[in-house]
Amino acid sequence: MGLDYQLVLWNKFKKTYDKIIVLAMLLYVILFAAITLTFNSETSIETLIIRAFGSLAIIMLHIILVIGPLSRLNSSFLPILYNRRHLGVSMFIAALIHGGFSIFQFHALGDVNPIYSIFTSNMDYGSLTNFPFQVLGFFALLILFVLASTSHDFFLSNLSAKIWKRLHMMVYIAYALIIAHVFLGAFQQETSTFTIGLLITGFIIVSGLHLVSAYKEHKVDKTSTNGTENWLKVCDISEIEEDRAKIFTIQNERVAIFKYDGKLSAIHNVCKHQGGPLGEGKIIDGCITCPWHGYQYLPHNGQSPPPFTEKVSTYQLKLENKTVFINPKAFDEGTEVEPCKY
Amino acid sequence: MPSGLRKAHKFIWLLLIIIIPMIMFFSIKDLNIFSIEGNTTSQIKSSKKSKLYSFENDIIKGAIFESEIEIILKSTLKNSSSIVYGMDEKGNRLDAIGQLTTVGIYNFNINSLPKGIIIFDDIKQVEITKLNFKWD
Repeated sequence: MGLDYQLVLWNKFKKTYDKIIVLAMLLYVILFAAITLTFNSETSIETLIIRAFGSLAIIMLHIILVIGPLSRLNSSFLPILYNRRHLGVSMFIAALIHGGFSIFQFHALGDVNPIYSIFTSNMDYGSLTNFPFQVLGFFALLILFVLASTSHDFFLSNLSAKIWKRLHMMVYIAYALIIAHVFLGAFQQETSTFTIGLLITGFIIVSGLHLVSAYKEHKVDKTSTNGTENWLKVCDISEIEEDRAKIFTIQNERVAIFKYDGKLSAIHNVCKHQGGPLGEGKIIDGCITCPWHGYQYLPHNGQSPPPFTEKVSTYQLKLENKTVFINPKAFDEGTEVEPCKY
Repeated sequence: MPSGLRKAHKFIWLLLIIIIPMIMFFSIKDLNIFSIEGNTTSQIKSSKKSKLYSFENDIIKGAIFESEIEIILKSTLKNSSSIVYGMDEKGNRLDAIGQLTTVGIYNFNINSLPKGIIIFDDIKQVEITKLNFKWD
């Protein structure tokens, strides 16, 4: 959490993760160059750079796309989620090097504008296997540029979490464009069962993990609550761990019921920062702490502790014979609610 | 995530799971990736062709087959245009056979066996090189 915008809110974990990202990228490019030059010593340096950074960007994109569902399925992946933005920007840099060198080598040496040349050098738009695949890569690069340049908290705060999140879901369109770019481009020219198999496996893993995590989320949505119109029966108090929460879906929205210091409080499950699941976080220093980026809220009023200003909705609870009931009508964001004592 | 975003995620991934495999399937179905061995063998068989004549000078090297001429360009030419023409007995240019650009191996189809070839710069109207074939 921060009141002022800084280019990067460095901490020692972020520095460590960024060093790992840079070292891994360098190692991959060096290995790629060494293997390529060993088996094909006549490869030009431009081709080597284009292929090394293109394949690197695809590998990184796959890693980025599995971080979300992996952290939904297993909380030990959450620290990677915390650093996903830096990985995304690094992936854009790799894609930019690939795209930049490709545009220079294939389109910048003629007397036509290179960008115009991308769209007109091959006009076979009606064909599938001879489709101008570079156009697909160009659009994917444009999307990645928008995502990388708006990844900062400044845009997140000014666009609102909802719009920012929808904007960044364009990464899925970029992924589809990149897959098509590779299958209609590189794989048409140099057919290799190994690389084709690798990309198909990558797609199966990415989509499979998204499906499994969606199924898990669907099960949470189906968690039943029943009772009278004003009070819905939620669960037994023993089902909630100390300093943790249990998540329930009430009228299509998720609510997290926290148990702490002999009290129970309920708040809306969605963090105001990036929509993180507050109910999967825990109480630290008396505050509900979002597992994604550490944003904090007071359990009894859903407000971030001063001087921060984020607020989420709160709910009224009651306890009858160790059974927790919730009033499904949400209070306005930041409304004080007396915790239910047990 | 709010319920709207969760629904949007679900919708997008359902679309991707349908669209991406379709792109993958239709783009590789004609590549014969699963019959590489047979494909390679048939390519080798079909590439067995009898050489009728070989030629070489400082600029090019090549061979003539029944219905094809192979030209290997040794170094990139400085001319902005380099068209390969067939040549008659008197050394006159016939129809264009093909065009050379950078260093590499070029294969052009031919309808009849030429008496020679001329590589000609059509822009500057300059003859770059000429080869006479001495058929037995």
